[in-house]
Amino acid sequence: MAVQLDGGGKEDLKTQFVTREGTYKLMTLSEYSRPNRVGYTNSQGSASVRVSFVTLPDPADPTGTQGLGDRMCFNFGKELYVYVYRGVKKAVDLNKPVDKKLYKGTNPTCHNFNQTTATADSAPLLVGFSTGQIQLIDPIKKELSKLYNEDRLIDKSKVTCIKWVPGSNNLFLVSHSSGQLYLYNEELLCGTTAPHYQSFKSGDGYAIYTCKTKSTRNPLYRWVIGAEGCCINEFAFSPCGSNLAVVSQDGFLRVFQYNTMELVGSARSYFGGFLCVCWSPDGRYVVVGGEDDLVTIWSFHEKRVVARGQGHHSWVSVVAFDPYTTSYGDHDPDFSGSDDETLPHNNHNHYHEKANRLSTTSQGIHSNRNSCGSELRVSGGTCYRLGSVSQDTQLCLWDITEDVLRQPMCAKQRPSAAGSSTLPTSGTINSGNGSTTNHHLNNSKHNNLNNINCKENASGNNDSSNNSMSTNTAVSTVNSLTQRLAGLGFGERKGDNHKRNFSLTMRGSGASNSTIIQNSSGDKATTNLNTSSNLNSVSGSLVGANKKVSSVMDDPMRLIGTAWCPRFDECPVLEPLVCKKLAHERLTELVFREDCFVTACQDGYVYTWARPGHMVGPLTISSTLHRPHHHSNPYTNINSLRSNDL
Amino acid sequence: MGANISQLERDIGSDQFPPNEHYFGLVNFGNTCYSNSVLQALYFCRPFREKVLEYKARNKRTKETLLTCLADLFYSIATQKKKVGSIAPKKFIARLRKEKEEFDNYMQQDAHEFLNFLINHINEIILAERSQSKPTGGKCGAGDAGSPPEPTWVHEIFQGILTSETRCLNCETVSSKDEDFFDLQVDVDQNTSITHCLRCFSNTETLCSDNKFKCDHCSSYQEAQKRMRVKKLPMILALHLKRFKYVEQYNRHIKVSHRVVFPLELRLFNTSDDAVNPDRLYDLVAVVIHCGSGPNRGHYISIVKSHGFWLLFDDDMVDKIDASTIEDFYGLTSDIQKSSETGYILFYQSIDCN
Repeated sequence: MAVQLDGGGKEDLKTQFVTREGTYKLMTLSEYSRPNRVGYTNSQGSASVRVSFVTLPDPADPTGTQGLGDRMCFNFGKELYVYVYRGVKKAVDLNKPVDKKLYKGTNPTCHNFNQTTATADSAPLLVGFSTGQIQLIDPIKKELSKLYNEDRLIDKSKVTCIKWVPGSNNLFLVSHSSGQLYLYNEELLCGTTAPHYQSFKSGDGYAIYTCKTKSTRNPLYRWVIGAEGCCINEFAFSPCGSNLAVVSQDGFLRVFQYNTMELVGSARSYFGGFLCVCWSPDGRYVVVGGEDDLVTIWSFHEKRVVARGQGHHSWVSVVAFDPYTTSYGDHDPDFSGSDDETLPHNNHNHYHEKANRLSTTSQGIHSNRNSCGSELRVSGGTCYRLGSVSQDTQLCLWDITEDVLRQPMCAKQRPSAAGSSTLPTSGTINSGNGSTTNHHLNNSKHNNLNNINCKENASGNNDSSNNSMSTNTAVSTVNSLTQRLAGLGFGERKGDNHKRNFSLTMRGSGASNSTIIQNSSGDKATTNLNTSSNLNSVSGSLVGANKKVSSVMDDPMRLIGTAWCPRFDECPVLEPLVCKKLAHERLTELVFREDCFVTACQDGYVYTWARPGHMVGPLTISSTLHRPHHHSNPYTNINSLRSNDL
Repeated sequence: MGANISQLERDIGSDQFPPNEHYFGLVNFGNTCYSNSVLQALYFCRPFREKVLEYKARNKRTKETLLTCLADLFYSIATQKKKVGSIAPKKFIARLRKEKEEFDNYMQQDAHEFLNFLINHINEIILAERSQSKPTGGKCGAGDAGSPPEPTWVHEIFQGILTSETRCLNCETVSSKDEDFFDLQVDVDQNTSITHCLRCFSNTETLCSDNKFKCDHCSSYQEAQKRMRVKKLPMILALHLKRFKYVEQYNRHIKVSHRVVFPLELRLFNTSDDAVNPDRLYDLVAVVIHCGSGPNRGHYISIVKSHGFWLLFDDDMVDKIDASTIEDFYGLTSDIQKSSETGYILFYQSIDCN
């Protein structure tokens, strides 16, 4: 049992820590906060401190290398501050903010600069408030100030997230704790009466309305998401701008095709609300954090939860990918995001691409095998760097390799479930790995050894090394297809059936992978779909299936053990690369920048952490230092690697 | 009608007021808030309320026990003409003071001790009545110490099973032992979640030096590793946050006001491999809150969820509250000793028992 930490966890805070790429260091002179720190303590119950950045284009410095154009905004209590942000260099005089605002009777809760329209002397900034209003200001030009929802006729509840629509000069999206999301045009008025809505579109768990007026007014659209009054906690546009991920207090992640307003996929938390969301830089994965203390990774293409990260001791408040430390495989990163999902013809290309990547990975394993024994070495696969901060005052960094994310949803040993299913035993999944694997499996729930399982599983495949490259290709193609089809099956079937379907797939991983999997997938194509002709329209019919299963979505007990919410031991559990206590108060913000990352804390402080090699001065450092090259730098045992403190 | 409508009814909305539901505060008889807060929480644990009312309906004329007093109190609330108001749990408190010496005074008591006493006592009453009504027949094991008696409805609602596994570090033999529980008592750490506290509850501990384990296999005291995990998840999971710590330095118990967040929905991570129902999903239905700076001073209130909204019971006062105000009861992040309003006992109800 845990020993009570007397002194209330006032243990030393980290001012630097090491990862595989080097040392991150807190730049104590680069600290931003309210200038007058008197009375700067009690932050109980006030809105989270969030940070927004903008880079003003500078004609004298077109590439922005000198970083003179960076501006930063943060909120604290009833105040909002805008400063020139100097990155890892000494902070500006805090008594000379670019702009500061003090609000009465309301707190700013979130804000967002428009990077698209920012010029050398203008940076439109949206601010949302705890009482529902929205303000548009220009902290640099100063003359702009517009209010939306001023009389709270549109929504009275707290603004929880506000963002400019990517690439747009004038459209922005606002979510409220009432569970509604509104699209505004900054040029339009909000009207003097409450809007009358007419239904525009609806689907499983959401409905979209437009204003029922002749003249166009704000809001342009109103999205009602989840059950009535169920707070939307955050939303995020995909890197390509075409998809929108929304997380709510009802524990759902919902991903929409933004322009068509179609729900393309969803996931359910293990329990409790989802609090934060972000997209991987290549648009392939959505990561969410929540009240289950977990980081949950959802595959956009497979439409399923592929892994969970366990490391935080409390609710996860922010998740963010570090695009500068994410290394991609041998292929071009798929920046198109989801576009292929809407064009059925591209699906095959997509599978093909995936297959290629997987076989490259296997090849990497093979060639490294002699040098590293049974350890799995990854090369050629994409390795994502994810960061998360939590109410536990800790930062976690995660390295997520694609081989882990590729694991099919696997039913781990759980005798208790035996009554209801034909779940394969662990031995079947990892056959050939002998007693050690089984031992791990038996303890996996407690010891978080699922990583190891997955790795051993992969190396197990490798053991039967007569798998030629082409066989691997076939397996992976079929595998991802199978998962899609199995996912499709949820709509029409009860839980027991899909389990059996999965187990068919699992059993294949024994002696000869490819044939059995192919067989089983053949079965599925016929049984689940009753027709094999609509393979190309997988994504379309998945949406259809989603609609049909609204009763399943309403009942969290029926979601457990499905692609929406696997049981805890049914999908890989990742451990953080590092886990560091950075503050005495809960952390509320995390932003990765090229030379640093920025954290904010509930007590109103904004900290800058220099990346390895950036703490002296940015001019002398070559950029390769913070972009580790995975070919020259193979690392082992990535997910369980914990670096030591300095 | 209009003038008689209370603020609470207005807050809920007359048309929204749940039918057959009554929100009645309980009058304080001098530091009896420890009892009031727990009774309100239990009243809004629906399976418990229903069983108590069932008991009332079945047992018309029996001698007065704490259970009959509780049943009368619940019945009285459930059959009020008015929808809101307050009621004096006079008979219950009088009986309680007769039953247990420790409660026979006007001092502040520990709400968890009271809950623990009440649940166990009710269970004993049911068992005693059962053995009276079936002196010979019925359950063969009634008088037999060897086999456990048939579970009562108190067991069915609150009882879970913990399994403690001990691995001798000498012979590697794993032995396990099951024990029943009515609630889990967890240590609290600063800036954590109840999920984390439960995980720590099941952390592996090493038994060594003075605390060695007597291994049957080795027939001697050995170092061993031990952990406790949940084997059977109860219908209502009561979690007691150990916020009162004895500090030698001060020679008294002090309150640990650490901020421990608790979600409205919960699953357990610390279930054993052979757990019967490890996926059980719980809804938070009630929280007993301690207000103040120490165990022997301060005040208890409770918040409960009823028909989708939250109510705060402060003795005879009842208010509708917004779910977002629950965060005020997580605790304090600063360690400066001061008064705090903190969640003390959490009642999570399995969603499959509705």
